[in-house]
This record gives sequence, structure tokens and C-alpha cells, in this order.
Amino acid sequence: MKGVAEFDLAMRSADARRGWRARRFDLAALPWLRPFIESRWPLFVTRSLALAGLVFTILAGLLGPRVGSHNFAIILVWIAWWTALKLVFIPLGGRSWCSVCPLPMPGEWLQQGNLLGGLQKPHGLGLRWPKKLRGAWLQSGAFLLIGLFSAVTLTDGRVTAWVLLALILASVGLSLVFERRAFCRYVCPIGGFTGPYARFAPVEVRVKSSSVCAAHSEKTCYQACPWGQYPLAMRDSAQCGLCMECLRACPSDNIALSLRPFGSDLGAAHQPRGLDEAFLALVMLGSALAFSAVFTGPWGWLKSAAYQVGSLPWLGYSAGFLALNLLLLPGLFAAAAWLHRRLSGSPAQLGKIFAQQAQALYPLGLFTWMAFTVSFAFPKFYLVAEMLADPLGLGWELPGLAALDFGWLQQVGPGLQAAILLAGLAISLRLARQLAQASVTNRSPVLAALPVSLFCVVYTGWVLWMLVG
Amino acid sequence: MTKTSLHAVLPWLVLALLAALVLLLPLPVAAAAPRARRFRIEASQFAYSPAVLRVNPGDQVTIELAPQDVVHGLSIDSYPVDLQADPGQVASLTFTADRPGVFKLRCSVTCGNMHPFMTGKLQVGPPTLLWRSLGLALVALAAALLPRFK
Amino acid sequence: MDAGRIAPQRERRARLFLLALLAALALVLLAAYLARPEGVLVRAAMPEQGGWLPAELKARVGEPLRLRLISEDVTHGFAVGRHDAPAVDVNPGEYREITLLFDQPGKYVYYCTRWCGLNHWRMRGTIEVVSAGQPGSDGQAAPAEPPLYLQLGIDIDAPHPAAVVPEGRPRAELTAGRISGLPEHYRSREYYLSHSPSQAWQALRQEPAAQALSDEQLWSLVAGLWQAQTRVERLEFARQQYNQNCAACHGAQGAGDGVAARQMADGAGSGPVMGMQGHGLQKPSSFADPGAMLGASPALLAGKIVRGGMGTGMPYWGPIFDDDQVMALVEYLYTFQFDYSLEVKDE
Repeated sequence: MKGVAEFDLAMRSADARRGWRARRFDLAALPWLRPFIESRWPLFVTRSLALAGLVFTILAGLLGPRVGSHNFAIILVWIAWWTALKLVFIPLGGRSWCSVCPLPMPGEWLQQGNLLGGLQKPHGLGLRWPKKLRGAWLQSGAFLLIGLFSAVTLTDGRVTAWVLLALILASVGLSLVFERRAFCRYVCPIGGFTGPYARFAPVEVRVKSSSVCAAHSEKTCYQACPWGQYPLAMRDSAQCGLCMECLRACPSDNIALSLRPFGSDLGAAHQPRGLDEAFLALVMLGSALAFSAVFTGPWGWLKSAAYQVGSLPWLGYSAGFLALNLLLLPGLFAAAAWLHRRLSGSPAQLGKIFAQQAQALYPLGLFTWMAFTVSFAFPKFYLVAEMLADPLGLGWELPGLAALDFGWLQQVGPGLQAAILLAGLAISLRLARQLAQASVTNRSPVLAALPVSLFCVVYTGWVLWMLVG
Repeated sequence: MTKTSLHAVLPWLVLALLAALVLLLPLPVAAAAPRARRFRIEASQFAYSPAVLRVNPGDQVTIELAPQDVVHGLSIDSYPVDLQADPGQVASLTFTADRPGVFKLRCSVTCGNMHPFMTGKLQVGPPTLLWRSLGLALVALAAALLPRFK
Repeated sequence: MDAGRIAPQRERRARLFLLALLAALALVLLAAYLARPEGVLVRAAMPEQGGWLPAELKARVGEPLRLRLISEDVTHGFAVGRHDAPAVDVNPGEYREITLLFDQPGKYVYYCTRWCGLNHWRMRGTIEVVSAGQPGSDGQAAPAEPPLYLQLGIDIDAPHPAAVVPEGRPRAELTAGRISGLPEHYRSREYYLSHSPSQAWQALRQEPAAQALSDEQLWSLVAGLWQAQTRVERLEFARQQYNQNCAACHGAQGAGDGVAARQMADGAGSGPVMGMQGHGLQKPSSFADPGAMLGASPALLAGKIVRGGMGTGMPYWGPIFDDDQVMALVEYLYTFQFDYSLEVKDE
């Protein structure tokens, strides 16, 4: 049941989007870039190198020094890669990490039966992913589970190595049982980050003209997509891994890899998938809060509790972590959604409103993770230089690296964190206002926007207090 | 959109002015006369006690680091402070708190797995960055709630 | 587009590339393995996590023993008792290489020199050094002279209250005139070693030569006798050893209030010493308490240091300090009672 105005608005914004799209910049149309996108070699080589790096990382994690700050795996994964993922790959490229991620490679090769041929005759059982397990619930769960053990995972190279190994094994297993990239879509906790926030990123793969697709009955792009996406029907970029298989499969050159404005997949015109995605967005906010407290706060007892897995204090930490993520934040946001419903006079069900309004949380969450990353990783960058000078932990001192000075990173840190948090808040507030505007009929959008806006402001204030206060 | 009425622009101007004020206005904080302060900080895996030090700009701050279990260190972001001591011994250092703001204390001697996250904070003067940021957050809220004119 | 077909040639090239990559990785790892430094890897961890690993090493007289030391958690230190190699720090995640050379066979003890928690003193290991020429030699050192407290038959576990204590802190005085008639044996090393200050005071009180002295002056005399037996030039060494090895429990001022003391049980042995409950742990002795300290003879104190407290929490230092070092420590301990008016730096 859509109101006329809402429908009209949706149509108008859809038109507007098409207008935008026509003006979007198609990277795949660049003559010098085109061969690199069309060929499978660049991504294959990149991912192979990444896979070799992954194997090396796992070995270094298992065999290297037990002290985290001297273990290659810890520094590479949790400082270097993490920073790149949070500050570059996701905000600028959405799921761009997924396009070079080595974790699912062995599984994908087995599933394809080849390295370079794409998805031709899939091997393995090729089952469809069970309906009940679809959506983001599993990812939320995997994410929460990782949160419970984060202090150990982040500081013990052996645990990090085992986690990486477990992810590879899980991806291989799932590739052989289920079709396409079931692991990446439904299980991978990193995908839990990259997927939702890909809606914000300024890159998208879309069809150029829907009429061309309508006339093409083979749907070769869908057949070729490891992610199970049909480009014409793609509502947003959350499940697009930017592997460009669709572009390679399209007989009419109808696929564009475009630059777009930030946050293009968010807003009133984009119906969210459901409560699962809203819940994942809240889990992201909750974990960012918890990690900020544990890793950057001055509370030593909290650090010890989070670290001593299995002990009584750890059970307390776990209870608090789960309560924050499963009760407190969802409860607060549900209250905001309920108030929004009252104030906007929207006839929609509370669950729908909850899911719809949760879109406003994506920029907030992404930027909070970015600020947390600055706070957490910047002061440790000197370790990356040290690690590169002695990657095997053998006491080497490769020249010129260990002496790099990263002191300035600490000086810009707090201001940068505040700026990032405020930028995220501003975008989220704008989005909340837009969503309110779309859901009110004849009431004030200001009042309707207030509950979710206040939720965002309070959350930001909380994080600000923890990171720069 | 050729003619923008003052009516439509005025609230934005006011908000921009407000944001500028929040960013630049000196805070009405009574300047305290500099004095000498002494903190005895006990360090144990993975906490400082006290973990939060509050001083006024210009204060002569003496920090005594007294580890309780293993060898610990203490450095402060942006300040030339780096202490290390064994349990049972005390290392101390005096400096002038001449940079206002909030700075992290960090353990500078690897003291176990959670060592990288062993932190505290030195607060020199009021936490202006926090206050200004919170002020800007409220300005952003106001901006988001402003009536939109077509 | 050409995606519809798997081009066998390209696929072969891709497989070749992958194989080459794996081979390169294996080569790098192999090279790293072959290029690894020589020496026996010795890992240091907090005693609750295993202490030294391995805790038993073997060496031959005259053959260098190369060790690669690394800590797995906190700052540790490495030194060998009764050996002149200087102590080295063993830092977390950093390899430290040292070479040891032994010229006497025997069982040496290596120990941690940086305080690494309540059980720091349990962190010890042994190096069995055998003569190079005799593989069958079991490495037993020549039997040493029994320690002084055994020779004197002192029960070092018995309480040793001082029968008399001074009013304040006696200041050492050696005015020759006042002690001119004093029997010579009071000034002998043997007398010093086998008597407590309070015993010396009581004996002197009976001496006709000391009749004119007030009680306080007599204490100054005792302090003077004790100072005469103190090798001033060894006090600085002893102070360093004390701060490094003793202060965490006994306190930098000797008051028995070091950081570790707080966490120890008071007598009952029920304290929160990690995983070490029920061992009869006691509060560390206070050297600042005249009632106990002035009742202890140098032989008794040396015995306690050498043998340890047998479960009270006081470690044994016999295999680590030689007799000279032990006596230097004992002499230092009396500075908590007597004012020697020496230029002893206090900080």
C-alpha cells in the first residue's frame, strides 16, 4: 500500500536515478582500462599473489613470535589489511576487496574446475542455499561470535592463523556443496562489513540499457555471475563482488562499471531487504562501540575480561557485548522506529519501518568504523614498517624501513577521528530526513525525522566521547 | 532556482555562523594558575591506575611510574614522555603540560598480548575537541531538521 | 566475448603461473629456514606460562654455547649464576643472541633478571657443563665447602628476635679511645659472621672497657664494628643486586612492602599467587624491623639467601651468587639498620 505521493516520489527519484546513470562515468568505457577489465588475468594474478601472501601469513602466524606486536600475521592482517579495508577498499570501492580476496579462491577453482575459465560447468553438489539461512542473519551471528573472541584473535598470531585457515576451509566446503559463492554471500564475516557498506561506495556495476537486456533471453550475465546476481534486477551493490564476469559474458556490451555519488544505493527509493539487514547494521554499530571501549578505552579490567576467554570476567564481557548488540541498540532503535511511526502517521508495520529507517545507519556505521580504525591502527603503523623490515621474524633489518617516522599520525589522529565521525553523522542525518520526508503524508517531516536523528546523534556523541574525549 | 529568497537562505546562514562559532569560539573556562602536580601511576597488565590524569595547561606534571607485576613503560602522545620501570622500582619524570587537549598514555614496553591496547589518557585543560565536536553534531542535527524549501 | 569457451592454452598458462608462485613461496620459506641463525632457541615466558623453554641445556667445557633468546610475553632477562657473562635483556618478540663459554664443568643455573610477575623467581633453568675430554663425566662440580650456617649449626628457620634494640638508628662510630681496652676478637671477621648485633651489644655491655658508654653509645660502637666489616666498595654492587632481585618483595627501603608483597598471603599461604596457593607463602621479611634484623647474624642472613625459604616464597640464591656476592648483600642489608654515614647513593 503505497500512498500516491510516495509512489510519485519513488518514480521521480527513479527517473532522476536514470538521468544520473546516463551521466555516470563508465570506467569500462575507457579504452586504456577496458582490456584490464575484460581480461581475467589482472584479477587472477592479483588474487594469486594475495593467496600466496595468505599462505605465508598463515605460516607466519603459526610459526612466528607469539608476541602479537612482532608477529607478521597480526601486523599484516589487523593493522595493514584492516586499515586498507576500512579506509580505502570499502569507502571507495564497496566490495572491491571481494574482487581480490584470496579466501574463496581454492574453493572457487574446485567449483569451476578451472582457474581462468569462469563459471562454466560447476562441479560439486551445486545445491541452492537454504531459504531459511538467506539474508544477513548468519553474517550477523558470525560477526558477533568474532566479537566475543576479538581480543584473542587480534593479539595472538596463532589464533589469527587458525581463523584464516578456518575461513578458507569453510569456503572450500561450502563451494563444493552449494552453488556459486554461498560462503561469501551468507557466511563470510568480512562480507558482513563490505556488503552493506557497498551501498555507500561510489562504484557500481549496472546494465547500460534495460531494453537491451529485455531482448536478450539467455541471461548469460546471470549464468556467469559467481554471486548469483542478475545485473538488470540488481537493486543495490550489496551483493556485487565487482568480479566483472557479467561484463565478460554480455554479448551486447551492455554492462557498465560506473563511478557514482556516495550513498547512491541509500534513501527513500531503495527498499531495504528486510529486518536481517537492519539488524546487521545495528550489530555493526554495537561492535564498533564495544571494540572502541575495549581497545582504545582506558579500562584495563575490560581488556583483561575480553582477553581471558572462558574465564568468569570474560563471560561477563560476553554478556555485556551481546546485551549491547542484541538488546540495547536494537531496543533503542526500535523505540526510535516506533516514535517515527507515531509521528509520521505511516500506516506501515513497525518491522517495515524499522528496516526502512535502518538505512540511515549505514553511513554512521561505516564512518564510525573508519574513525575507530584511525584510532586503533594509526598509532601502530610503525609496527608495519618494523614488520616489513623483518617479515619472517628472524632478526633481519631490511634497510630504510624501521626508521620511518609515524609520529605525525598520532598528532592528526583525534582531529581526524572527530571529522570522520561528524561527516558520517551529517550524511546519516540527511538520509534520516530524506527517509522521513518520504514516509510522511500530511505531517511534519521534521518531527518524523527526529527519533532516528536523535539516535544517530546520541550514538555519535557516545563514540566521540570514547575516541577523542 | 535563479531567485533564492532570503527566507530560504537565512536559516542556513545562521547555521553556518553557528558552526563557525562552535569551531572557533574560545571556551569560557577559568584559567587556573599553573601548579605542580604529582601522579603516582601504578601499572599492571593491562591498565594504569589512575588511568585518567586531569591537569591544567601550564602545570608542572610529575609522573611516577610504579609497575606492579611485570616491566611496563609509559609514553604520552605528542609529549616527550617515555618511562620504563621494573616492578619494585619507580621511574619518574617532570614535564610542563604546555599542549592543551586529550592525549593517550600508552605502554611502551611489550607487557603481554593486550599490551598494544594498554592505554590511559592525559587531559590538559577541558576536552575542547569533544565539546566542539558535540556542538557540531547538534548543528548538524539542526541543519538536517531545517524545513526544506523548493 | 570469448568467455563462452575455456581456452586450454590460457588455462595451462594460468596453472603454470600458479605453480611458479607456489614454488617461489616454497623457495622463500626454504631460504628463510636455511638462513636461520645458528644456536639453541630458548624461549622465555612468564613462569605461569612455562618459564624457560627448554629449561635444561647442555654444554661442554671450552666449547661455545650459542643461545638465541626470545620472550613470548613480557620483558625477561637472562643471566647464568656463578658465571661472569653479563646479564642480557630478553625482549618480547626480539631475538637476542649470546655465546657462553664455560671453563669449569658443573651444573649451572640460569635465571630471569627482570621482574616478570609474582613467580618471577621460579623462572630458572640449568646448564649441565661436562668436560670436553670425558664424555662420561656426569658434570658434578667438586664438592663445595658447606655454607657457614651449617658449619656454625645455625637453625636459619628458627625465629631470631633481638634481645635488645636501640632507641633510634645507631650511627656508626669508631672512636679509638673508647674501645682501646676492648678484646681484639670483637673485631674479627669470625665474630662478626657468627653474632647478631644484639648479641654483640649484650656481650660488650659486660666488658669493663665499655662501662663508661651509654646504651646509645654502645649501639654506635656495634654499628662501628659492623661498618668495619663492610666492604664499602661492594655496597653499590649490592644495592643494584638488591634492587634487581629483592626489592620487588622486600621493598626498596627494606620494609618488606615491595609490590609483590601486597599480593602475597600473610602467613597462611592462601594468597592469590597465581596457581601457587597452599605453599606456605609468607610475607617478605622486613629488614627495617630492628626486632628481627638486629637478632640476625651475617651467617644466618647469608644462609637464608643461599638456601632460600623452602616454600615461604623466598627463593634460593646458592647456585646464582658466589659467596662474595652473598656477603656483599648481607653487608648491604645492615644498612637498613645502621647509619654508616657513607656516601651511599640512595636513589
